[in-house]
Amino acid sequence: MIDLIILISLLALGYGFGQYAEKRHYTSIRKRELILRNIPVVASRIPPQGKPNYDSQLVSGSVVISVDYFKRFVAGLKGLLGGRITSYETLLDRARREAILRVKREAKDMGAEIVFNIKLETASIHKGRGNAIGSVEVLAYGTALIPN
Amino acid sequence: MEYSNPKIPEGINTSKTNPLYEFAVLTGGIIVTAVVVLTCLIMLVDFFADKIPFSWEKNIPVAKMLSDSDTKPIPVYLDKLSQKVIKQMALPEGMDVTVHYINDDTVNAFATMGGHIFLYRGLLEKLKNEDELAMVIAHEVAHVKFRHPIRSLSHGVVVSLILSLIGSSSGEIAGGVLGSSSMLTTMHFSRDYEYQSDQAAINTLIKIYGHAQGAIGLFDVFHKEIGTVKPVEFLSTHPLTENRISQTKSIAMQSSIDGESLMTPLPAEFYSWIK
Repeated sequence: MIDLIILISLLALGYGFGQYAEKRHYTSIRKRELILRNIPVVASRIPPQGKPNYDSQLVSGSVVISVDYFKRFVAGLKGLLGGRITSYETLLDRARREAILRVKREAKDMGAEIVFNIKLETASIHKGRGNAIGSVEVLAYGTALIPN
Repeated sequence: MEYSNPKIPEGINTSKTNPLYEFAVLTGGIIVTAVVVLTCLIMLVDFFADKIPFSWEKNIPVAKMLSDSDTKPIPVYLDKLSQKVIKQMALPEGMDVTVHYINDDTVNAFATMGGHIFLYRGLLEKLKNEDELAMVIAHEVAHVKFRHPIRSLSHGVVVSLILSLIGSSSGEIAGGVLGSSSMLTTMHFSRDYEYQSDQAAINTLIKIYGHAQGAIGLFDVFHKEIGTVKPVEFLSTHPLTENRISQTKSIAMQSSIDGESLMTPLPAEFYSWIK
């Protein structure tokens, strides 16, 4: 009985705080994306043509986001039945967008106009530790072009 | 090459499902499936557990694990009373019951493999008359008669086998949900056993004393104990639901006219024996 109460409280706490943090994060992401829209980020490996007088510079942004207890619980149940782990989709979406935003922020601070050859890498922290709350790292890096 | 910077639509990489809805569907689905499957399995095992000869059970050295309290008058008296009870219970051929007295504060009594019944001093101290004691003994003898100890053991074996097979490969969380559902299932069965034993015990009381006031008295004893600080062990092994009380009372009421005056007293020295 006491185990059940602890579990439900943990789930409620995880859900409450997790959803609150996620909502706040999304609001902030949308706001900053709008601000940094004028810096395009492209996956092309070749710099845009016709821009010879530019300096290039490596820019990177990395972010680590932790999964909450509720998300992990739902994902754990999905582990038995299969299917889309929807609770992790928002987590990774947030991490990718945040990492790109940090790239853009760095590029903007350098006075760059565009970032090309953008790459994303994902790593899970706490790998192999079943009991621990997992967290995910997303690293974005690319080449910023700064007019000289 | 023309480059444009369109606004990316929101929410294309995530799903719109409400997480709470998904949680409810997943948990509910797993619990319902697990309970249904386990119930079927337990019923199957139950069928076979019944076929295990009682003599096999008797070979399990249960009684040696818990030491008996010597030759004081109390075991002698308990034995005499239990013989009176057993005579009315029509035990199957080859089944016999041994009553043990344990000098301990625990408020409990239980029946285990091989027809051994254990009565704790803590419980005996709370009883007010012979009827209540006979009710306790009859209840535990009924467990033995219906082979409940070996059935519960078989259920436990099956459930833990299934859990260790599925649980380990399904991850900790899913395993935990499965574990809770299995507890739910076995608990349901053990409650059924309590009802069955209550019923048999009440019928025995009626045969011996002509009424079943002892059952009501015993439940009153437990009812008073529920509110006390020290939890009564008997209630964790014998869940005392409102349902169980009302069921018992309705059976007991049918046979009785009036309360206290009908009760058979315990021997005068009873409480000094268990000191």
